[in-house]
Amino acid sequence: MQAIRNWIINSSFLESLGTFYQTVVFIYGTSLLAVYAILAIMSLISIRRYLKKNASVDYGIILESPLAPGISVVAPAFNEGVTIIQNVRSLLTFNYPKFEVIIINDGSTDDTLEKLIDEFQLVHVEYAFREKLNCMPIKRIFKSTNSAYDKLIVIDKVNGKSKADGSNAGINLAKYDYYLCTDVDCILDKDTLTKLIKPFMDQPTEVSSKTGEDNTKRVIASGATLRMVNSCDVDGGLLIRARPPRRFLPRFQEMEYIRAFVLGKMGWDLINSVPNVSGGLGMFDTEISVKAGGYDSKSFGEDMDLITRMCSYMKSNNKRYAVKYVPLTLCWTEGPTTLKVFGRQRSRWARGLAQIMSIHRKILFNPRFGRLGVIVFTYNFFFELLAPLVEFGGILFYIYLIITGQINWPFAIILIVFVYTFSVMITTLALLWDQLSFKYYKTWGEVIGLCLMAFLEPFLYHPLILFFALKGYFNFVTGRKHVWGNMQRQGFGAQPKKKKGKDEPTPEVKPA
Amino acid sequence: MFSSLVALITSAYEQFIYLPLFIEIAIIFIYVAIIATVTAYSVIMYKRWQAYVEEKRLAFISPKIEAMITEQVLLNENLEKIPVDDIEFDQAALNDQAFKHKWVRQAIIDILIQYRRNFRGEVGELLRKLYLDMGLMKEADEKLKNIHWEVQIKALTELTRMDISISDVTILPLTNSQKPELRAAARNAYVQLSKNEPFKFFDIATEPILPWDQLELFKIITTTKDIPIPNFSRWVSYSENKSIVSFCLKLIAHYDQQPAIPAVMGILNNKDHYFRADAINCLGKLSAEIAEPKMLEIYNTQPLNCQLEILKALGRIASGKHLEFLKTEFLYSYNFDIRMHAARSLIKHNTPISRSMVDEIMNTAEDEAKLIIKHCQNPLIK
Repeated sequence: MQAIRNWIINSSFLESLGTFYQTVVFIYGTSLLAVYAILAIMSLISIRRYLKKNASVDYGIILESPLAPGISVVAPAFNEGVTIIQNVRSLLTFNYPKFEVIIINDGSTDDTLEKLIDEFQLVHVEYAFREKLNCMPIKRIFKSTNSAYDKLIVIDKVNGKSKADGSNAGINLAKYDYYLCTDVDCILDKDTLTKLIKPFMDQPTEVSSKTGEDNTKRVIASGATLRMVNSCDVDGGLLIRARPPRRFLPRFQEMEYIRAFVLGKMGWDLINSVPNVSGGLGMFDTEISVKAGGYDSKSFGEDMDLITRMCSYMKSNNKRYAVKYVPLTLCWTEGPTTLKVFGRQRSRWARGLAQIMSIHRKILFNPRFGRLGVIVFTYNFFFELLAPLVEFGGILFYIYLIITGQINWPFAIILIVFVYTFSVMITTLALLWDQLSFKYYKTWGEVIGLCLMAFLEPFLYHPLILFFALKGYFNFVTGRKHVWGNMQRQGFGAQPKKKKGKDEPTPEVKPA
Repeated sequence: MFSSLVALITSAYEQFIYLPLFIEIAIIFIYVAIIATVTAYSVIMYKRWQAYVEEKRLAFISPKIEAMITEQVLLNENLEKIPVDDIEFDQAALNDQAFKHKWVRQAIIDILIQYRRNFRGEVGELLRKLYLDMGLMKEADEKLKNIHWEVQIKALTELTRMDISISDVTILPLTNSQKPELRAAARNAYVQLSKNEPFKFFDIATEPILPWDQLELFKIITTTKDIPIPNFSRWVSYSENKSIVSFCLKLIAHYDQQPAIPAVMGILNNKDHYFRADAINCLGKLSAEIAEPKMLEIYNTQPLNCQLEILKALGRIASGKHLEFLKTEFLYSYNFDIRMHAARSLIKHNTPISRSMVDEIMNTAEDEAKLIIKHCQNPLIK
């Protein structure tokens, strides 16, 4: 043993390798932190610009306007019997003049469909539609005999084992130019449709005849911030009072969501390089979405995959496009409270990212795809996909240095403090931007409670993220079959806990 | 004391410069991160405290302002007895020292705007008079001269809500501003405030009217009282600004301006197919039977969006002259959307001939055709 140790220490090759590795990792880490710092500045500019731009906007004018574009709300549901009525009622009460709500009963094994039929007086209708996107067979389509629910369409279909398949079925029936994709159990703001359609309507459709400047772009998708609903007060599908989650795991996620949406997505929005519109809440151009092939039911990151294909379609056809984000929180979703469910969710996301980078590898570093290839994919490759691997490699190297007694403790501590303080700073800036713009939390205690998470995250939360990301990569490389999660929803208010089937696709929404 | 501090810093610096480069960078970043974090928390605390103080201040002053408005306007004894212009306010109440601060004056403006939204007629007029007599218009004038566009928008909104006219020299250049938000606000204000020619800016507009702005402008035009509505075909024929033409087409349809039909038909020869689709849509809404032959003539050379609009227009016009065409399109087209729209238009005619055609299709056609007809006939599906 001692002989091996001596050999390792004396080996000049290993020494050079170690020096090289340390230098590369330091440059990599510093670049990553620099990117975050730049993102923080860009997001501040973007948020302030949004606030200035929309300060005097009267959103109420759209309510009675015959010029408002129609929007189809697409929400797949699987075994949502406990909360489905409340959720659908909530979706039917958007403040918007022209929309339809398409609920897809994705082969539920509970009483989801029966409850819908009874509550909304649904009858089977002979509905003609064209199957523009692939999905499992649709068995029946229902409409309500009660005119109060004339916006509602319910599709009963064979289970497609994924949200993507249900969403595709909904898009096949969507009659409007835009569709909003959401999870049926998310709590959405009543003005969601108005706030998300506005970016589509803010783009010039013609060149300025004065300056000749061509600013025309087709907005193909828009998204907004998501937060945890876990400890919020909800009544009848309406959010009454926002609070950060009381339990640690969802609270860490709340902090992570704020960082990813308010700082990340808004930063990317400034340079039209938003990498993804969350599956929990996103509005899309129906035509482009269909032309891009809709959701891929085999993808583990179907939301990012769709945006990638939509952007790629636009670039391939030499069309200018934009993906927009608004810094408002319009969707409140329930975050996993157990490590098991959380781990499954994160492993799936990591696997999804690896899958997307592999499927769309021709886009990576490819200037033909513009920002998508040069900025979005490059960033995702180096700082999202490789980050867990580099970090894990770094930990192993540290352990090696400790074992061989080569570690320079003062320097090692300085480097750890460097990473720690910088990570706390980035999270704190995200919280600051959030506080400067929208005060969702009423009390000081709530804000401080959330801020504290920034100090604990590197020790408690980040290692979990790292572990589950590596697990996801491992599953991707080995091609292990993914077992769909069983996310036991807590429900809102005093609702009883509900039970779900084993093969349930976990309704997950991701921040980045 | 000072010299020992200097000595400490000097020795720290000397140690620092001999450290490896990456450690030096790391140390600098640590300091930056700590300072930024502490600053961020300080700003969070300060901003929350500031908001709290502001809330308290407003909670204190708002009842006072509302009491003054109630006393001077809502409960004014002279209201409806003498003309509003002749009503005098109690100067002592208006000149209260509490109302001199800038933030209080802004609070008064905000409350007055709120009241103006709720009160029309003489009360609304008296609120306007109060605004003028308190010299609050001066603030709006200052804001209008401000270099920041968002402040200028505030002034425009304020003056529009208070129905105070702005000179053309000031406002017309703003309707062509490079800032879309300012441009939209100026256009909205111009339509509301200009008594003679509210659409004058259509003639000089070089910048596009964005779809959202069209929404706002449409609401203002269609809801503002006593606005002189011109024949919008004027801009359809001569404007080079496509968004103006597209917007005018919507207004023509809304106001059912039949004399505009020839001008709208002129767009059917335009190169831009989105534009042609808008024109066909407008002709359909105008029930322009005269345009049917032309639409049929161009049908086969059109892209899908225009073809669908033609089918829709034939359904809206429902002259009954082109039922065979609709039937043929329905039965023989390979495109699902065309079949759907043709079926809808056929059913929309609702005449004995069209009904018998539909019955015949139901008896003879294949399953998909029957399904489409059933779909279109079902009143539950809109």
